[in-house]
Amino acid sequence: MFAIHLDAAQEPGAARDPDAAFNRLALKVHAVQRATNPVLRRYWDAVSDGQPAAWNEIPPVPVRAFRDTPIVTGTAEVVFRTSGTTGGGSGGDSGGGPGDGSGGGTGNRSGGGTGDGSGGGRGNRSGGGTGDGNAGGTGHGIGRGEHHVASLELYRAAAQDNYRQHLFAGAPALSLISLVPNPAVVPDSSLATMAGFIAREPEVRHAAWAFDPERGVDVDAVREAVAAAASVAATATGPTTTEAPPRPASATPPPILLLTTAFALVQLLDALADSPLPLPNGSRIMETGGFKGRTAEIGRPTLYRRVHGTLGVPESHIVNEYGMTEMLSQAYDCVAGQGPPAAERVHRFPPWVRTRALDPADLSPLPAGRPGLLAHFDLANAASVCHLLTEDYGSVTADGGVRLLGRAPGAAVRGCSLAAEAFLRMTGAA
Amino acid sequence: MTPSATGREPGGAPETSGAVKKGAADATGAADATDAAPATDSPRATDAWVLPPGLPAPSACEQLRAGDLPIRHPTRDAVDPGGLITALRDARRDLAAIPTGEMVRILGGAAETLTRELGRADVLDIAANGRLSAEMARAVVDGMAPSWTTAALDRLVHAEFPDPRVLDGFAAEARTGEEGGTVADAGARTGDEAAPTRHIRAAGPPVTLHFGAGSVPGVTVTSMIRALLVRSAVLVKPGAGDIALTVRFAWLLHRADPRLARAVAVQYWPGGSPAWDGWERVLLRAADQVVVYGGDAAIEAVRARAPATARLIEHPHRIGVAIIGAEGAGGAVEAGASVAQATARAAALFEQRGCVSTHLVFHLGGKAAAHEFCAALAASLAALETRLPPGPRTPAELSALHQLRGRLAMKGATLRHAPTDESSQPTPPAPDGDASITLWPATSGGWSVVLSPADSFEPTGSRTVWIAPVSNLAELLETLAPLSPVLQTIGLAGIDRDRAASLAEDLFAVGATRIVPLDQVPFPDPDWLHDGARPLRELVRWGELR
Repeated sequence: MFAIHLDAAQEPGAARDPDAAFNRLALKVHAVQRATNPVLRRYWDAVSDGQPAAWNEIPPVPVRAFRDTPIVTGTAEVVFRTSGTTGGGSGGDSGGGPGDGSGGGTGNRSGGGTGDGSGGGRGNRSGGGTGDGNAGGTGHGIGRGEHHVASLELYRAAAQDNYRQHLFAGAPALSLISLVPNPAVVPDSSLATMAGFIAREPEVRHAAWAFDPERGVDVDAVREAVAAAASVAATATGPTTTEAPPRPASATPPPILLLTTAFALVQLLDALADSPLPLPNGSRIMETGGFKGRTAEIGRPTLYRRVHGTLGVPESHIVNEYGMTEMLSQAYDCVAGQGPPAAERVHRFPPWVRTRALDPADLSPLPAGRPGLLAHFDLANAASVCHLLTEDYGSVTADGGVRLLGRAPGAAVRGCSLAAEAFLRMTGAA
Repeated sequence: MTPSATGREPGGAPETSGAVKKGAADATGAADATDAAPATDSPRATDAWVLPPGLPAPSACEQLRAGDLPIRHPTRDAVDPGGLITALRDARRDLAAIPTGEMVRILGGAAETLTRELGRADVLDIAANGRLSAEMARAVVDGMAPSWTTAALDRLVHAEFPDPRVLDGFAAEARTGEEGGTVADAGARTGDEAAPTRHIRAAGPPVTLHFGAGSVPGVTVTSMIRALLVRSAVLVKPGAGDIALTVRFAWLLHRADPRLARAVAVQYWPGGSPAWDGWERVLLRAADQVVVYGGDAAIEAVRARAPATARLIEHPHRIGVAIIGAEGAGGAVEAGASVAQATARAAALFEQRGCVSTHLVFHLGGKAAAHEFCAALAASLAALETRLPPGPRTPAELSALHQLRGRLAMKGATLRHAPTDESSQPTPPAPDGDASITLWPATSGGWSVVLSPADSFEPTGSRTVWIAPVSNLAELLETLAPLSPVLQTIGLAGIDRDRAASLAEDLFAVGATRIVPLDQVPFPDPDWLHDGARPLRELVRWGELR
């Protein structure tokens, strides 16, 4: 049912008109979802009139709907969970990094954070999920959003080429240090699951998991992993990439790929403030997520300067990833080693995703350059729901890139009437 | 009325032009030069402080935007908090010498001047400050003003102190059987005619510190008036969205009487900021009494830092509820106002930010009638949106509304029983035939009506009214019970008088402290039992002389 080619270029005629190919695929997936998921069909019927003629006429589902309702057709192989913060933009469960260097920015999907929310990435849970056609009832104020994912292989397929292209460039061998939790520890984190995919790539000679959901960053483990990488020659044992031939053993330590949430990265930098820990040449960092509601917010230019000063990794080698629990595809803002200054960067999704900025007043589409609420249409979400309305703010570029500006600005005005967050705390629903 | 004290004299005294100049001299009510000028829609910069005369003017200020109003407030080091409290404490003797009747006239007169002289430019500033529309800002001030008049304050004083002379000095306590005893406690009414008369006295402590609520104009004015009526000098930190009206009222008090000028201070600072923690602690240690409006965090922060000797009076956040009887949807609340219209008004005023604002309506008329009522309410909210437009909403607020609407639509789709679905997948069974969720309007709009089981309710704001059908009173009370800690105002409609009296007992038992006809929900009477307490009596201490 969901044997859909993710690469829209494989659709007949896609090379000539990729938008038309995307549209055909989107409508095809929509038709399947309508036919197989009665809840989605009733939702669409309730909020719109008539059948969509194009993908952008399919009403998006707000990401907060994932807190109440399992949205999946068939049986879920895995259930990914968000961080569980409640309303008011007090904490993120979607997102990725902001592009304007203003700090904070989009909160990120949870990621097996610590008890004090120091995680960052997406929360998820493996296996056992049985979201059979949204049979579950609604819960009152479920704190954590759930993305019921029908196929882990589909997730890997959506993520793999993209992370390889942006994180592995020019590195036939890598040592991995992950400040994203080990998926074995936090199986319901989509970010941890993706880190697990990355750890199993053939270029990765060694992987160190240096983040504990309860205790935070394990700085000693990071030091040990860096020392181990320095002592291990890049002993290539066979072809590691399709682009490069096997390389002979070398005295040069392999570069390190550091996977981290922005929050964990700040923790690491704070811990290393008095004792810099330069990483081998060519090392790169994938950072994701924001700081909102978690610790003092700092701007990305500041963060990247600190990274350079402490870890010796230049800005050009720091890649920001944007993703969310509710979405199987990700966007990156540069290729490792080729990154322009952060302020100039634009995030790009793979070709099976389309993003629009919508007017917050009426959700009408905004022209390129005008900031609004971001809505993504991700064909990889074929088994759940493709069109998502996020709480993130940003604009799109004329060529489909996304400039992230963080969470939609302007906190709710308060008076002396109880807010939802306090209400849910009081009733024990949060 | 001028908006800003930028031309203020050293010491923070109001300037002698504009608001000060105009006031009493302008008995004709003619607009002054400021208001006669074409008003722009841009709010004017406002100084967020009013200090007693004699104190040095703030040596430095910070600028920020409070809502959409640019303001300046003194920096942390620019005003000595200990010196400020001392100055207010020193004013206490003169304040205490003002007889109650005169105090009522001064305060009522100032408040009447405030509403009378409020020009379009002032209203725009107040609106910008609270992120309200100008129409809403005006409606809020006009709605609250009747509880600030001389007559209203006189009524308040007499309701609280049947013999108001106890506020001026020791006065003989009324004896048993006499009208208007001065003490409510039964101990004073022994029935023993031979018992010697005692003299009793009531007064507020020297200085009351007020922490205002966020963005409801007028809350702080009311709080100031109450403390001054019992002769307590006031230091006010207005809510960030209630600065414009508060400083205007303070200027008028300064102008009205030099004894009040020395006893009234206003200063805004960013509450909750760690940088201001030391400053707040000095005030909390020095003040005799603290009135705090706010959420759990704000109240707990005050509790944690106030000394045991300071009396705390807390007004936490509340949820307004309405109950509509079987005859509700079409029944008249008062001439010309339908229940739906009254509900719309109870929800929309203050943009649903008031402690009295209605969020949740229990409908006792059955599901079909509830559905019908929702449609009528939707029409009323739509009509009201034209007369009282919502204020500007931030992208975050709009985003929250879209997320809510989508969530509810999805929940509705999940719960809805759909026996005709031709899906190849089994249709999930509806857990309850009455469990569906229906939303008005389906798309965008400045308001929302949600027909839903009560257990899905969460206060949403932005004129979102949840209608929960209930089949009987027992079910209603059971559903209300979890809300007990945050109940205050319950509006009633479509319930006959006898039934309402017995229902009120149950509602009081579950936590409601104000049970009123639905059309009276938005603006309480001056003597209302605010959060279950007598508003002046809770500010005073009593003395007896035998």
